[in-house]
Amino acid sequence: MNTNSNVYTVIYTTIVVVLVAAILAFVSQKLGPMQAANQKAETISQILTAAQFEDFGNSNAEKIEFYKNNISEVVLVNTEGQQVGNLDCADAQIYSTSELKAQNYNVKDESKDFTIPMYKFNNGITVVPIYGAGLWGPIWGYIAVESDLSTVAGAYFDHESETPGLGGKIKDDPSFRAQFAGKKIDFSDAAPLSIIKGGVPAGKENAVDAITGATMTSKGLSAAIVSWLSALKPAFEAAAPAPVEVAACEEEVELNETEE
Amino acid sequence: MEYLSLFVKSIFVDNMIFAYFLGMCSYLAVSKNVKTANGLGIAVIGVLLITLPINYLLNKYVLAPNALIEGVDLSFLSFIIFIAVIAAIVQLVEMIVEKFLPSLYSSLGIFLPLIAVNCAILGGSLFMQQKEFANVGESAVYALGSGIGWYLAIVCLAAIREKLSYSNVPAPLKGIGITFITVGLMGMAFMIFMGISL
Amino acid sequence: MKETFLTPLMKGNPITVLILGICSSLAVTVELKGALVMALSVTIVTGLSSLVCSLIRNTIPNRVRIIIQLVVVSLMVILVDQFLKAFEATYPIDKALSVYIGLIITNCIVMGRIEAYALGNKPIPSLIDGLASGMGYGAILIIVAFVRELLGSGTLFGLRVIPEAFYNAGYVNNGLVILPPFALILLGCIIWVHRSIDKDLQEK
Repeated sequence: MNTNSNVYTVIYTTIVVVLVAAILAFVSQKLGPMQAANQKAETISQILTAAQFEDFGNSNAEKIEFYKNNISEVVLVNTEGQQVGNLDCADAQIYSTSELKAQNYNVKDESKDFTIPMYKFNNGITVVPIYGAGLWGPIWGYIAVESDLSTVAGAYFDHESETPGLGGKIKDDPSFRAQFAGKKIDFSDAAPLSIIKGGVPAGKENAVDAITGATMTSKGLSAAIVSWLSALKPAFEAAAPAPVEVAACEEEVELNETEE
Repeated sequence: MEYLSLFVKSIFVDNMIFAYFLGMCSYLAVSKNVKTANGLGIAVIGVLLITLPINYLLNKYVLAPNALIEGVDLSFLSFIIFIAVIAAIVQLVEMIVEKFLPSLYSSLGIFLPLIAVNCAILGGSLFMQQKEFANVGESAVYALGSGIGWYLAIVCLAAIREKLSYSNVPAPLKGIGITFITVGLMGMAFMIFMGISL
Repeated sequence: MKETFLTPLMKGNPITVLILGICSSLAVTVELKGALVMALSVTIVTGLSSLVCSLIRNTIPNRVRIIIQLVVVSLMVILVDQFLKAFEATYPIDKALSVYIGLIITNCIVMGRIEAYALGNKPIPSLIDGLASGMGYGAILIIVAFVRELLGSGTLFGLRVIPEAFYNAGYVNNGLVILPPFALILLGCIIWVHRSIDKDLQEK
């Protein structure tokens, strides 16, 4: 057969491409749910770490089970700080990183309305997500606050491609994350909670030290925290003076806009 | 993002060679003298500049979740689509250059097939997908910047290697060994740009 | 058969002798775990791609040869990537390797072995040649990663190996080792050692 004729070339290429596309579509269909489950379990373990839980298990199933046992409710808040919905706790519904990414466009653009989840746990801790850009790629994370909605209980950050050992420390260095515990979020400041290079001045309660050698990552993380927390300011203020009792998952929480 | 800052950043801070090691094979193979390095460098700039915006549009309007049909995520196809676009564009550019600019073809032509498998080109597309540019203009600026960064790196190395060939390097280190170390040192020098905020 | 297997490991090592596939290799050598997964992925991809290309070598139309090869290679790479993402154990590593898994497609080793060997040889030797090339590549990757993780982070596979007493005595992890340029310098040194032992490989 003449393998160099035009007809043969075209038919051959078509067959190969169709065959390859079919194999890939099949595999991606089959493995898709497993991949999604991995992503979800990873995000859940990040939220749990931020909320100061330990020993929540290693396998995906254990993590999700632990999350279900400890979450009390997840409210979705909008730009005005109003509650616009809930996520199903029994199904361990969460916002994935890509959903946070989508919301980040709305957070940055003041004319747009966003929906951000606030995860409320049985131990009184509320976890909010943040998202932004580091030196090389996206960075995101979770900040946990105590029931007074001002004292920071902990934080967890992750990144896509920061330099390991430098910018990567936002994730890998527990001592960097530990700095956040006990800080106070101060909404009267333009930067409610930030990362400062060259030492935090004494008495400043809403800042932590930057990572040495990772100026750009620290700056990006600081900007992400500032923009998301500022965006959540109305929601925090609406909820802050509320009673400490955490509403149970099944009951709809009333809006606390009359408080203060 | 400001175009200028993106441009400068992609040349110096996000340098394809020194920060990501992309396109190393042809970088090391074709950097023996400045003239050929020049040719390959220009070809890389050109191909990046054409393929990146095309891949950006494909990624945004076909491959991204819910882009083509609601509820369909075709992102698993991105590698294959990107590489197919690159291979096709390279083939196309080669034919066009051969037909209309024979003099350029004779000096550049041999590098074009090499470029299809140059990691810098596919890497550019994959990083573009990861960096989530807001519009096609940004992706073009990024392509131009990365291309120039790559060009700069290969011409610098070629110039150094031309001089190095006269030096008395230990025998086992001759050729590729000393080149690796040179590239490492150049990379260190380029790292000073990382601290600059743009 | 034995020679087909051994050559790519030593005398024809893809990295130190043929200088192929440097692109995606160096950025993944900060940690041993990532390097190991990368090494395995490349071995699987080179092996299977060589096998498939060798099987269809007589049917490929010459004009679209490169594109067909690229399609076969990207198929293998995507499959590896999808599987790594799907399993609980490998998912975090796949994330850490980010775009570098995709860049196996343009890893010159894969295309290089297909062009140079698989297109002219029977399937089984091609498979062995592909696997061995991948292993030769992986071996260098693991050596580099071993040194970088040990000196840069004081750990191996994420476990601390340098005793606490050293740190108390004033030892610090070397930040330079973690940075990309050091990988190149280290590779230069590996080539130096390799060529001191095997004098035939020295360049004039």
